[in-house]
Amino acid sequence: MSAGLQHDILQDDAGKRVCLLGNHAIVRGAWEAGVQFFSCYPGTPSSEVGDTFAAIAKDAGVIFEYSINEKISVEIAFAASLAGARSMCGMKHLGLNYAADPASTIPYVGVEGGMVIVSAGDPSAITSPNEQDQRHFTRFLYYPIFDPATPEDARRMTRYAFGFSEETRLPVIMRPTTRVCHSSGMVELGPLVTRRNELAFQKDPARYVPIPTNARRMRKELSERYRRAEELLAAGEFFPRTGHGRYGIIAGGVAYAYTTQTIDELGVGDRVSLLQIGAYPIPESVLVDFLATVDSVLVVEELTPFIEEWVTLTAYRSDRRIPIHGKHTGVFPVEFEYSPDMVEDALRDQLNLSRRENVGVAIPELPPRPPVLCPGCPHRTSFHLVGRVFGKRTVYCNDIGCYTLGYGEPLHACDTVLCMGSSISQASGIARTTGKRAVAYIGDSTFFHSGLPALVNAVQADDDITVVILDNFVTAMTGFQPSITSHGTEMPEPVCAPSGSAAGNGQDVPLEDAVRGLGVRNVFSVNPFDEEAALAALRLAKKGRGVNVVICHSPCAVNDRRIRKGNRRAPFMIDPTLCDACSLCVRVLGCPAILVTDGKYTIDEELCDGCKLCAQLCQRDAIQPVSEETR
Amino acid sequence: MHARRTGKNGSGCRIVIAGTGGQGVLTAAKLLCDAFGARGHEVVSGQLHGMAQRGGAVQSSVIIDGGISPVIGNGRTDFVVGFEPIETVRAANYVSPSTVIYMNLAPVVPFVLAQRTVLKQDDADYPDVSQLVEALSAATDHLFTLDATKHAIEAGAAKALNMVMLGCLFASDDMPCKADEFLEFIISRVPAKLKEVNVRAFRSGVEAAKSWAVGGVGP
Repeated sequence: MSAGLQHDILQDDAGKRVCLLGNHAIVRGAWEAGVQFFSCYPGTPSSEVGDTFAAIAKDAGVIFEYSINEKISVEIAFAASLAGARSMCGMKHLGLNYAADPASTIPYVGVEGGMVIVSAGDPSAITSPNEQDQRHFTRFLYYPIFDPATPEDARRMTRYAFGFSEETRLPVIMRPTTRVCHSSGMVELGPLVTRRNELAFQKDPARYVPIPTNARRMRKELSERYRRAEELLAAGEFFPRTGHGRYGIIAGGVAYAYTTQTIDELGVGDRVSLLQIGAYPIPESVLVDFLATVDSVLVVEELTPFIEEWVTLTAYRSDRRIPIHGKHTGVFPVEFEYSPDMVEDALRDQLNLSRRENVGVAIPELPPRPPVLCPGCPHRTSFHLVGRVFGKRTVYCNDIGCYTLGYGEPLHACDTVLCMGSSISQASGIARTTGKRAVAYIGDSTFFHSGLPALVNAVQADDDITVVILDNFVTAMTGFQPSITSHGTEMPEPVCAPSGSAAGNGQDVPLEDAVRGLGVRNVFSVNPFDEEAALAALRLAKKGRGVNVVICHSPCAVNDRRIRKGNRRAPFMIDPTLCDACSLCVRVLGCPAILVTDGKYTIDEELCDGCKLCAQLCQRDAIQPVSEETR
Repeated sequence: MHARRTGKNGSGCRIVIAGTGGQGVLTAAKLLCDAFGARGHEVVSGQLHGMAQRGGAVQSSVIIDGGISPVIGNGRTDFVVGFEPIETVRAANYVSPSTVIYMNLAPVVPFVLAQRTVLKQDDADYPDVSQLVEALSAATDHLFTLDATKHAIEAGAAKALNMVMLGCLFASDDMPCKADEFLEFIISRVPAKLKEVNVRAFRSGVEAAKSWAVGGVGP
């Protein structure tokens, strides 16, 4: 995090225009609104929200934590709200599923300080195992939802959301998608709120405890508060309309940005009227007024036909029978992201303009560059050694993290994946039904996130599973956030506060203590780069009965290099006079630093991390460290 | 600022920067955003492709005074700045006959080719660079190729590749600000010890592309 960004986020310079990433604009909006508490569990594409808070928390006086998981993040932020704080928590779409239990009752109880849950969506499942539409949380659990199209939307909506949340006592979901989170745009800084909420918890059990008699009362109040939310939104600025044409278009999220672009490209601004849906619930008056002035409607939104069905219902109820086009009429698909080209094609068809021909150049077949485990990654070593001991027939249940990249050639370390923390329960299910020992892979952060209950469940059932905990001291895949095993590890500057407190003085929780405390008797701690010791431990863990846990401790190679700031281990090279091109190193390890050009094997010294794994594997000792003289 | 190629119905300046993770694509996009944002332009930028992992494919868009969409439509970019041959061709869908392409000819070999080689699969070789150049030449007359990696190394560091490529871009009269003005901005952003290398790399890119504009077909 650069000092420049910190300055951009915190500066008190209303009216100034700066170029901000969508996720940074959310933090700016929250800071303008006087946010006092922030918690999160990182998850792409939401992670920069939390990382930015980590960097500004101290200067901004915001109570901050990287929570152990999203459920805890929501619960702790809600309690902070009950104590009066304007509170916020961040996660990806799947994180809100994990937190749906507490999230479902918060609207009943109601908030005190404004509460905003950022739940970033990922249409096209770019960095997720699924895509899903969080807008349904408004129908499902009565959450007002803001759906920004641009970074500026993200700022102004977040800013508004806190006061709105206090007035309705409803928690609010801010739902940017990948294209908003990870796009930059011009943002106009607003004034900073100078008065902060007083922080104190006032006892009032009838107000805060949803035992059934109270819950039924709360349920009636919730309907009232949701109606109030709709009234406030109707008076707000989240449904801007442009144009006066008789051809109506209603758009939400980043698809709104594509639509404005397309209208400009086609020069059809005089033929259309465009309505942006920036928030939910959509006030009835907004849709009724719009429908009355157009002859037909095209709805442009990604994922489910959420606006489209809302519009259809409103049209029916207000007796306005006009054609409504979108997903139900086959104009757009329900799967995946939209693109400006899809919107342009649809709009041309609807407006009877001919489609563009031969646009762009067909891209020839090109070799892909899929994500891979980095050179020096300790997971590669662990997968390699576990594979040697447990063999190809063992079922490997994998989990969410960098280690999912054990999938496919050449490591074959990933036969199943479902969600955070599922590897252990899946291994239990496989072992119990097949009668064969299964292996679960799980990282340090994911283990504490949701692996703990699964492990104690396996102990309770005495399942024959081997759990390999890949402890690299950091939450690597989402951008090197600290994990609970980071304690004692020097983190690169600027320091991100570890879980527990903004000051970072939380307590160390050794994985071994946690695992033994859950009742596991066979616990082995190894450094995967100590081949002999690691193999010996794995062999014991394979023979042992019941739950065996092998903890592989070794720092993330990339984070370690960041910490060491260029002070690298010596890279390796392949001696062409000794290499007989047996291909073992490439076939077995899949390290991106090993290249094969015209049958000749070489190591890219720039990429090589010096982990030595390939040198240990080579049968002809052809792989040697690069000597100081030749470097 | 003046809009280029208004024949495409749109206005503003649209740039696609393509390369591999670690080549400085995202830094280049950020510099453009900050420089033009600070000069009062409307700027939008997005990641079009990729997760920016080292060695992965990365595509960024930068749109100056051209609306609020961070994603560029097919055939609607003014410039492609390609840091690597395969990755330049991977951005071909954005190209129209009036698009100017700056293409680095130095390959970054995808690691999957090593796997394909040892498993004796098809397509195990890096594509013939001259064929990649040909594919793009068919799409636009405004293709400029250079060994930008060599320029960067000669300037003092392979990591200055992004400065060479930005230099090429600013050789065009159609950019909304002059090369020297942008160079001032770069200097204000880079640490003092890296200043000279970056300046040399940027200037060498400008010179190379200028000579093309004079002697060759030009943009």
